[in-house]
Amino acid sequence: MFKSKNKEYYPGEKPLLEKIMNDPQPVPRKVPDYMRKKGGAWYWTGAMIMIVFIYEVITGLILLLYYQPSNAYVSTETFLNSTPYGSIIISTHLYGAYAMIVLIYLHLLRNLFVGAYKRPRESQWITGVLLLVLTIAVGFFGYSMSGDVLSADATDVGRGIAQATPVIGTYLMLIFFGSGTSISLFTRMLGWHIVLAAGVGILFAVHFFIAEYNTIMPSHKDANYKAPAIDKDDGTYKPWYPYNLMYMMQYLFLVFGFLVLIPSVLAILPNVPDLFSPFPSVSPSSPLAVNVPAYPPWFLLFVYKALDFKMLLGIGPFWGTVIFAGAPLIYLLIVPYVHTNRSLLMRDNPIPVSFGILGLVYYVGLSAWGALAPGVPISDGPVLLFFVLPFVFIVGLSLFVAKLVRENKITMPNIGRLFFTLTILAFAAFGSGMLIIASVSHPVALYLIPMILLLMVTAISLAVAYAMIKGVHLRDESIEEKHMSKNGYTFAASGFIMASIIVLFEITIIPPTSPSNNALYGIGLGLILLIIGAFIRIYRASVYGE
Amino acid sequence: MAQDNKETEESDKSRRTFLKAMGIVGIGVLAIGSLRGVIQNIIPPLSNAVSSFPTLTIVSTSGKPINTTDIQVNNPTPFLFDYPLQNEPNFLLRLGDINNKDMAIKSVKVNDPGDGNSFVSAPGVGPYNSVIASSAICQHLGCVPPKIEFYPPSSSSFPGKIHCSCHGSTYDPYTGFSIVTGPTQHPLPNTQLSYDSSSDTYKVMGMVGPTIYGHINDLSGGSALPSTSTTQVSSS
Repeated sequence: MFKSKNKEYYPGEKPLLEKIMNDPQPVPRKVPDYMRKKGGAWYWTGAMIMIVFIYEVITGLILLLYYQPSNAYVSTETFLNSTPYGSIIISTHLYGAYAMIVLIYLHLLRNLFVGAYKRPRESQWITGVLLLVLTIAVGFFGYSMSGDVLSADATDVGRGIAQATPVIGTYLMLIFFGSGTSISLFTRMLGWHIVLAAGVGILFAVHFFIAEYNTIMPSHKDANYKAPAIDKDDGTYKPWYPYNLMYMMQYLFLVFGFLVLIPSVLAILPNVPDLFSPFPSVSPSSPLAVNVPAYPPWFLLFVYKALDFKMLLGIGPFWGTVIFAGAPLIYLLIVPYVHTNRSLLMRDNPIPVSFGILGLVYYVGLSAWGALAPGVPISDGPVLLFFVLPFVFIVGLSLFVAKLVRENKITMPNIGRLFFTLTILAFAAFGSGMLIIASVSHPVALYLIPMILLLMVTAISLAVAYAMIKGVHLRDESIEEKHMSKNGYTFAASGFIMASIIVLFEITIIPPTSPSNNALYGIGLGLILLIIGAFIRIYRASVYGE
Repeated sequence: MAQDNKETEESDKSRRTFLKAMGIVGIGVLAIGSLRGVIQNIIPPLSNAVSSFPTLTIVSTSGKPINTTDIQVNNPTPFLFDYPLQNEPNFLLRLGDINNKDMAIKSVKVNDPGDGNSFVSAPGVGPYNSVIASSAICQHLGCVPPKIEFYPPSSSSFPGKIHCSCHGSTYDPYTGFSIVTGPTQHPLPNTQLSYDSSSDTYKVMGMVGPTIYGHINDLSGGSALPSTSTTQVSSS
């Protein structure tokens, strides 16, 4: 009965609240098989964010048992150095926050590019944008709680921006940063960190239920390339349990694995730049503090650099923030109401697509600029060049290419793969750029080897992208992929589990006496998590044939 | 009859609309009423930690008053002392020329481009009128020592300066801690000192100039110092 009703209208015709309350839909919904196939990860960026959020809540609650607002820096350092496995909890909590923000940006860009903001998903999109803002706010307060010199600098800037708000500035400062004493400051920041994190949880639930109601954003082909894109179960969808559950578990273990592994590896590398260090910096009163640039957390570096622009000095840090963080935010909030045409194709939506790319370029560019030249005032000329040049180039090129594609003057058979390759290229190029700088300042093999490897990745992806544009087909579609035999799967799976037992043996004999020992433990734990993720993948391939 | 029914229906409809509007007004009244309580509650009460600027003798960590000879001329790591409240560091400088000879610091008019006001700076005190003090919290975005530091004169073209390495603000201690380079929009607040020549001791009496960074006024937003007669120095 539901099915026939669903065919008559799509969600979005009636007020959302009325539909959700009076016309409940199964949660969680069944999803098409292609979401669990190769390339299906793009459909699960939201799920990955949720997994990271769960990790953050768990580690955050553990941290809450130890944190003392009256003694912020000392309690942080004690937890880090003297509490068994404390350094893993605190460094993975930090990196979880980083991962969450990166994944939100990824989720946002993906949905911008595929047109998922269009009817009937406007409210879903807006709650998503608000979740980004809330998450960054939670990140800011969390980062400021450690009481190290970086957090003191970030707090001072935040306080200055709050106080400069017209009319209510004084109250904002008092509400968010307390009455001025150190204990009031850290108590408030702990409070807001948790309150806003709870806000993320609640708003996330709203976002999730709207998403479940509106169905997943189906593939463009299934949606006939037009909004409203509604996914309809044609009766062939596999049940949620166990197929999707196992798929989600695979992601959970892989995401947790990387969350534990990456900061643990960084913890034993020497000379990790302050911006990416998994540990708090020195105390603000330490003589060493003078060597630490007054960085905000990396996800706010773009505003930080903008405040160095001479043209903004006159208007102060508040209006600078309003312009540089507020303008893109307002654009994101009005996107669903501005770009209302029904086509989901990028060629018909060159403006939002090019603004997405442009936003990424500005974000990465301003952040890198802020990291490399902290606090250096920039005169108007370079600033205008930095903003106008990419704008003209990217928007112009996007409009031009979109027009050519629309008129069928150029076709790109591998456009999806090309996009993927370009993404890898961008990250590899950025990473190798950072590593080149790192190897110049600290010429050690630890930076040199990854630099060479990443440069190779950059070169290969560049060549692949070029080949795709030129129209070289990478793979003959007629050749079918060969799967491993059932015995092969069984053999590989038991090999993985055996390996995890060996890792378990290794990590149980490491005493949790120092952060570097804990880091080794974390690497082992991360490997076990990844092994289980890989095992579930094999299990799915072997038992479900997926 | 039909006519009557229609009229009843019409009036029912308008009655319903009116009642809905009243309901919304009621909820609005509740929202405004409770919002006031919530907002006023989450703003922490702010009262002055001390009723007026205390007059405190500057003493060493051992509690002995600081004498002129304890303060080195052009010391790049000058003494710091908290005033008027805790966690509010101030520089204690004894300024000299390039040959480390004491220089008398006169009171000058200092402009504050941030709010368009100006104030008369605190003059140097001590036997050579060369001892001076200021807030050591940068007026731009609140960095504290060791990020904001005193750089003694190194050549005739570089008289001593106070420079903050966070964002590059520079102040001139010889002219009332006025702005040399931005991005700061305010000079450093001057700390007023007095000198007792008979006992060769220094007292701190008050502040002039802009409000200390991050504060609504100089006497609130912190805890009072533990002693009501002295403030201890530490080295930056």
